[in-house]
Amino acid sequence: MNNMKKSVRRIFWLLALCFFLLLGYLGKLVIVDRAEISGNSYNIRLRNDEEGIQRGDILDRNGQVLATSTLQEDGSYLREYPRGRMAAHVTGYSSVGKTGVEAAYNFELMSVHQELLQRLSGLLEGKDPKGNDVVLTLDMDIQSAAGDLLGSTKGAVVVMEPSTGRILAMQAYPDFDPNTVSGDWEYLTSDEDSPLVNRATQGLYPPGSTFKIITALAAMEYVPDWQTFTYHCTGEADFENKVIHCYNNKAHGTVDMEEAMAESCNCYFAALAEKIGAGNLSKVMKECGILSDYGFTLAHSQSVMSLNKDSSESELVETSIGQGKTSVSPLYMAMMISAVANDGIMMRPYIVDHIQYANGETGDTTVPEKLMEICSPTEASQLNDLLVGVVDHGTGTAAQISGVTVAGKTGTAENATGKDHSWFVGYAPAEDPQVSVAVVIENSDYGKATPIAGKVMKVALEKLAE
Amino acid sequence: MFDLIIMLSRYLFVIYIGLYLWEAIVYIAYEQGGYLGSPYRAVSVQRRLVVLMHLTAFLILSYNRDTYLFDWQALLFGAISLVFLLVAIQLLDRFYYEGCPLIWTGMLFLMDVSLIMLQRVDPGLAHKQLVWMALGLAGMLALPSILRLIPRFEIFEWAYIIVCYGLLLFTQIFGVEHGGSQNWLEIGSISFQPSEIAKFLFIFYLASVFRKRVELRELLITGGLSAGVVILLVLQKDLGSALIFFMTFMTMLYIATSNEVLFLMGMGAASFAATIAYKLFSHVQVRVAAWRDPWADIDHGGYQIVTSLFAITTYGLFGSGLTKGMPVSIPVVESDCIFAAICEEFGALFGAGIICIFIMLLYRGIRITLDCTRRYYSLLAVGFTAMIAFQAFVIIGGVIKLIPLTGVTLPLVSYGGTSVLVSLMMFGILQWVCVYCEQHSQAAAEPMQQQYVERRYADE
Repeated sequence: MNNMKKSVRRIFWLLALCFFLLLGYLGKLVIVDRAEISGNSYNIRLRNDEEGIQRGDILDRNGQVLATSTLQEDGSYLREYPRGRMAAHVTGYSSVGKTGVEAAYNFELMSVHQELLQRLSGLLEGKDPKGNDVVLTLDMDIQSAAGDLLGSTKGAVVVMEPSTGRILAMQAYPDFDPNTVSGDWEYLTSDEDSPLVNRATQGLYPPGSTFKIITALAAMEYVPDWQTFTYHCTGEADFENKVIHCYNNKAHGTVDMEEAMAESCNCYFAALAEKIGAGNLSKVMKECGILSDYGFTLAHSQSVMSLNKDSSESELVETSIGQGKTSVSPLYMAMMISAVANDGIMMRPYIVDHIQYANGETGDTTVPEKLMEICSPTEASQLNDLLVGVVDHGTGTAAQISGVTVAGKTGTAENATGKDHSWFVGYAPAEDPQVSVAVVIENSDYGKATPIAGKVMKVALEKLAE
Repeated sequence: MFDLIIMLSRYLFVIYIGLYLWEAIVYIAYEQGGYLGSPYRAVSVQRRLVVLMHLTAFLILSYNRDTYLFDWQALLFGAISLVFLLVAIQLLDRFYYEGCPLIWTGMLFLMDVSLIMLQRVDPGLAHKQLVWMALGLAGMLALPSILRLIPRFEIFEWAYIIVCYGLLLFTQIFGVEHGGSQNWLEIGSISFQPSEIAKFLFIFYLASVFRKRVELRELLITGGLSAGVVILLVLQKDLGSALIFFMTFMTMLYIATSNEVLFLMGMGAASFAATIAYKLFSHVQVRVAAWRDPWADIDHGGYQIVTSLFAITTYGLFGSGLTKGMPVSIPVVESDCIFAAICEEFGALFGAGIICIFIMLLYRGIRITLDCTRRYYSLLAVGFTAMIAFQAFVIIGGVIKLIPLTGVTLPLVSYGGTSVLVSLMMFGILQWVCVYCEQHSQAAAEPMQQQYVERRYADE
């Protein structure tokens, strides 16, 4: 009988433990996972709430309104975007479904802070309670400058603060007017240029010569004599089943790393890649986070690479100069160049700075977060010297800003279906990077991205100095 | 204005359940020798809290915000069910006066939450549920007299298992499918779940077998017969019940033998069997896939669990307020997912309170088991307690995605005639064991129980 009592007690504790597990898991669901689960676009409860609650605003870092809800005569709310297309790919829309920040922060925008107080005061004033505002890291002055510079050429611009990962501007064209999405729906979804796709985060392009930054980094790690390694460029070079050309078949003569980077000599980097080896290069690519999930708020495409230690020599040399089967998004390139500017530390990119409650108080604030270390500070500084050369006397002179040292790299991505894509990634000032940028212009003339990047950085630096 | 009242009522409900649980602690503390307050007062406060909760909820439910009037049908039902609760309190006191008062108030609380939630999602079901509760109550009240007529009902062990098998086999052949499980029998317009009745018989069987010293031969026979029951349930796609039967069997086996090795062997064999079942049956795979990643298949397999998670998380700790959520959007909300609906409108804190009430019921059931001196009754008490606890765990764990979701009812809360009836009878037997042991314990009743009884007589 005593044995039995002992067993009964044990069973009690076992069952009690099961129930405590339930309590713990329920707590986790409601406290930790709440925003993530209930923010899902399948959750009809958030749509239900849209009557009787004024959706929160979306603001830029200076408080400029990008999206707001205004009460109409019939008692319903109209979602308005005062800056129209200028921030369309960031704010997204909230009408025919939701995209962008409207979708990702749906839960916050519809969450009422101190609902009881707001309802009580609303009773007197006849106002509905208001959801939380979302304050972005975006600066509309830089955003507009980037939008104006891009104009109506297909492409994307990402401006970032290297030390934090804050996104100061993110433009992509074609774009759309979030005020009229439901009216334009037919056109927006059928147009072959896919204006609803945010090219800055969802577009994937071959990196072209901007990839040479990664090849150079791999050389620093795996080619002991890279600083003295030279190559005689005749404008083209033969590799196993593959002929590599320099742009316009230009012969660069005998070049070392500094000159090869500045002049973007394909043959040099292809020869260098042979010394690095496919296994090592693909390892460095992974260490640079090409395949890493960086958990960005807005919809984004994962960059792709296919190089591995068993790849053929032709794939190796193609990859080393940014052709072949590597595709990256402009956002990734901005992260990569920011890491070079930030002593090798890649920060997690973010676009929402904080939540602001209806009473003006600040809610959750995004804390900058280190993603990974892509290289050592020494390597970053060596890369910096090479990239300064590019803008000072190489292919990137069009990105120069008077009085400021700019570092960067140009790129031309061969496009199988049409004209090449033009790239520029860079940062400034080179001694103390404040701003970094990645620009891609689709099907453009040679080097079109470079001056755009220079001008955007100039505006951003002026704006940040204010 | 009405919105504001509903918002405030959310805090009221959390206060009700919080106070209710506090009074349970007061009662238990007294029993354990501590003193936080009078235990008699604690129980009567608990009863008043149930009545208050009932009044608050039905006033909100019957108010029509378009006409600014109260809906008389809802008010009438509220009044009838209130009378039912009050009468139940009186009758139970009379028929089981040595029964554990915390179990009574706990049952009343859960039954009231059931009536409120069903009135909210589908008043027609609430009305039917009340009828079943009344029948269950009548059954409970008749129970002591019936058991007095058959003094040694443990001798029918073979009858229990044979009828149990009969019911399950009959369902296997003639059963119809409701909600993915082929475990319903239809006779005329009434449909019922034989597996619910089988639960009852199964525990009687196990308690009858394990009351004796168990030798290897009996162990093999009992184990084989129990495994057969579980397999039949799996074949009927009633995975939740299969799990509950199995866990109850293991519990009673462990308690009867106090043999850890046997317990671990049983669990090992079950894991092996579960793996095979997973490979063999697609309906098992579907459930597991929906549990692992419901987001991957929101439109089909994961739909129920995902909507249930939306309901639980969207409105947070205090819920949306009664009538303000969207519980009707959850599939099978009246039965499988009623816990999600409770969390949605009353808030997760209230939901946690419901879990705590189940912990309290578990504790009281175990107390009865430990205080009982007759082995057979002890086994019955622990069997029913464990079965109710497992069932609550399986379904609550299912809707919050702790374990795969299977279609079983939350005892006393979910809609379901057979389920309510059988759950009430289980509590009835548990209380009867409590009463029996009080009356037959040699050293007279515990002083406190004695006082409690006397005090109540004095009250009347």
